[in-house]
Amino acid sequence: MTTADVRDAAGAARRRRVAYVALRLSGLLLAVLVLGHFVATHITTDVADTDSRFIDERWASALWIVWDGVMLAATLGHAVLGLWAVTADYSSGRRRTAWRAALLVGAGAVFVIGMSLLWLGATG
Amino acid sequence: MSLAQFVFFCGFAVVAMAIVAFGAVVVRGARRDDGGPFVTRALVRRLARPGRDRAELQRWAFYLHRISGLGLFAFLCLHVMDVGLYVVSREIYDEVHQVYGSVPMRVAEVGLLFGLLFHTANGLRLVAVDVADLGLTASTRVLYGVLGVSAVGTIAGAVFVLGPVFT
Repeated sequence: MTTADVRDAAGAARRRRVAYVALRLSGLLLAVLVLGHFVATHITTDVADTDSRFIDERWASALWIVWDGVMLAATLGHAVLGLWAVTADYSSGRRRTAWRAALLVGAGAVFVIGMSLLWLGATG
Repeated sequence: MSLAQFVFFCGFAVVAMAIVAFGAVVVRGARRDDGGPFVTRALVRRLARPGRDRAELQRWAFYLHRISGLGLFAFLCLHVMDVGLYVVSREIYDEVHQVYGSVPMRVAEVGLLFGLLFHTANGLRLVAVDVADLGLTASTRVLYGVLGVSAVGTIAGAVFVLGPVFT
């Protein structure tokens, strides 16, 4: 075992620790944001009334734009970190690499599409 | 059913199939890695008697956490697209959004609420296991609370979500 190997192992352990903590912190944030979103769209307003006029009112307020943007980013980060561990359990080798690539591309696409739609919806 | 609504329906079917397929992967992996009995009457009896086989219930919570997590992610992908229709055309958005108020979709929303509540409460339990250093006994006790909160929260939410159907 060379010094470089030890440094690589330490780096990998640090990345895993950061991912572990980030998964849990984003989860804590989402517990508030997502349940709040469900309450706003199903409990305080009936779901049939959350039509385009409802979005007009909501996205007129900076609070809800920030809420939705942070919620989208945190959800996708949480999903990538969680499914990263899932791919480690149920696949290996090249298949695992392919699933992880698909996960990153999929989550990245949803992020870009979702954020640009939020931007256009809020400004347009 | 308009074309846009049909496309949304197809997207929802894909989400449902992804959940079922992933559920099969998880159960197959469980059979391979964890062995042991599956949902038999003996298992249910054992789970109902606290103190005997605490690890068993945690194992099932782990599987349900994974499956609900994937389901929520799959639904999010669909949901970002259908809300995004608001930017493309308000008419198409309203058309697709009518599906959300239909009775079958309201039932699906109650299922979504259960997934959200279980995944949230169980996730907070996992954080508590680390932060408060809970052992097997205490974390199983918290798990009973998680199941109780998910069940009660789902029933309470169902009153609001399904209520308009009956009035």
